[in-house]
Amino acid sequence: MDITLTQGIILAIIAIIAGFDFWLEGLYIFRPMIVCTLSGIVLGDMTLGIVAGGLTELAFAGLTPAGGTQPPNPILAGIMTVVIAHTTGHNAATAIGLALPFSILMQYIILFYYSIFSVFMGKADKYAAEANTKAFARITILPMVIVALTYGVVVFLSGYLAQAPMKALVNAMPQWLSHGFEIAGGILPAVGFGLLLKVMLKGRFVPYLLIGFVAACFIKFGNLLPVAVIGAACALYQFYNDKEKMQLESRLATSNNGGDYEDGI
Amino acid sequence: MASNASNNNTENKRVLTKRDITKLGLRSVLLQASFNYERMQAGGWLYSMLPFLKKIYKDDKKGLSESMQGHLEFINTSPPIVPFLMGLILSLEENKENRNTIQGLKVALFGPLAGIGDAIYWFTILPIVAGITASFASNGSILGPIIFFLVYLAIFIMRIFWAHTGYSVGLKAITKIKENSELIAKAATILGVTVIGGLIATYVHIDVLSKINIGGGHSIALQKDFFDHIFPNILPLGYTFLMYYLLKSRKWSPVLLIVLTFVVAIILSFLGVL
Repeated sequence: MDITLTQGIILAIIAIIAGFDFWLEGLYIFRPMIVCTLSGIVLGDMTLGIVAGGLTELAFAGLTPAGGTQPPNPILAGIMTVVIAHTTGHNAATAIGLALPFSILMQYIILFYYSIFSVFMGKADKYAAEANTKAFARITILPMVIVALTYGVVVFLSGYLAQAPMKALVNAMPQWLSHGFEIAGGILPAVGFGLLLKVMLKGRFVPYLLIGFVAACFIKFGNLLPVAVIGAACALYQFYNDKEKMQLESRLATSNNGGDYEDGI
Repeated sequence: MASNASNNNTENKRVLTKRDITKLGLRSVLLQASFNYERMQAGGWLYSMLPFLKKIYKDDKKGLSESMQGHLEFINTSPPIVPFLMGLILSLEENKENRNTIQGLKVALFGPLAGIGDAIYWFTILPIVAGITASFASNGSILGPIIFFLVYLAIFIMRIFWAHTGYSVGLKAITKIKENSELIAKAATILGVTVIGGLIATYVHIDVLSKINIGGGHSIALQKDFFDHIFPNILPLGYTFLMYYLLKSRKWSPVLLIVLTFVVAIILSFLGVL
């Protein structure tokens, strides 16, 4: 069965809303379970949507954006699985595989955005320095809007206008280019950490930076809690040392000028 | 000592109402509004808290500017529990704590919270909920998507609870912080810097793919046989220090460094080095 223009537009709107949600990880309506069900309702076959939702959700359960990696896109996987099953008559399980190129296309677009949105931070820094809250709000919302609209366009093109050319586009992308963006994404946090260190790092704190670095290299653990505990140990050690020193100094001071400690410390 | 006087001060300074903290919980959903690889959630983190920072700093434009710049530094944590951290940090902001204390605590906490949040929400709750609801859905039952939606709606509403919890934990800590504010600022910086060391090792990825042929069909894999034998993650540490040096001593702009990183990454990918 073909998809009508109205259905194409409604699917695009669903993609825009789910796109906002995936970007923000808010209500999880971007998961295939919900996206497939909604797509099924739009196409007039709710049962197909729900069944596809269950299958696609399981297929994507292990593919999570945790830890900064970007998995194949769950929204495109969800919508296109239902669209392909509906238009070609394939069953949902086969349609998941056929929807994968679209899901990978969107994954690359998002990876691309993750990288180039870094450029907005320069302007954001400027507005923050000027305490210009209105301009800052605009520059912060802009990326989110770009992303959501992209979802709308991609879904409208893939679902309604041009399924075959979109698939060709995915296959035509050179490997080195997408890999290059992936690599850049892996290195870019170094710029963020450089900025952070510019604010926080003084010569006498370098030992702690090195301790944290070495600890994280050799403690193989799912999160940074062990490193934070080591950091807390260092911080406490320093704190009590300083406090002792301070009390000693104030005692010396009081014994020198006869109990005059009205300034506190 | 000076603790009595500061106790009185904390009472007077409270400008945020319970309603504000509830709103903070809801606004925290904007955490990833301007997500990017350079500073990840920094823009959204600041944007979520911005109305309340404005309320705290009122006409103090300089104070607001300093606070905004501080909150625009790198952060990446778990979205569903970030309201806890926001509530905590906002209580410190409300009391005009030392900027180093705020910065140090934020940096020290977001990494571990990210790990805990991911473990709970992505690796525990999602597989369980997906597994159960998918079994309904595979039979075509509408219960599948409905239960799925309700679970995540509940998780969303929990954000309000996390914001209030973080805020009250912060309030309790403040009196203790006040007594030794200078020392605690230093200790917090130490904690923060230690965690940044760990962040560099876990977030920055540089893997060299090149191999050097040494004749006779033997080759040395640069990453595995060379760099990893010197020290693991030596390249990420080196590159981060290079960025730090260029930013601090050479006053290069971050945007230039981002573009540079891009160009280098794509060229090296084309050449097959990375």
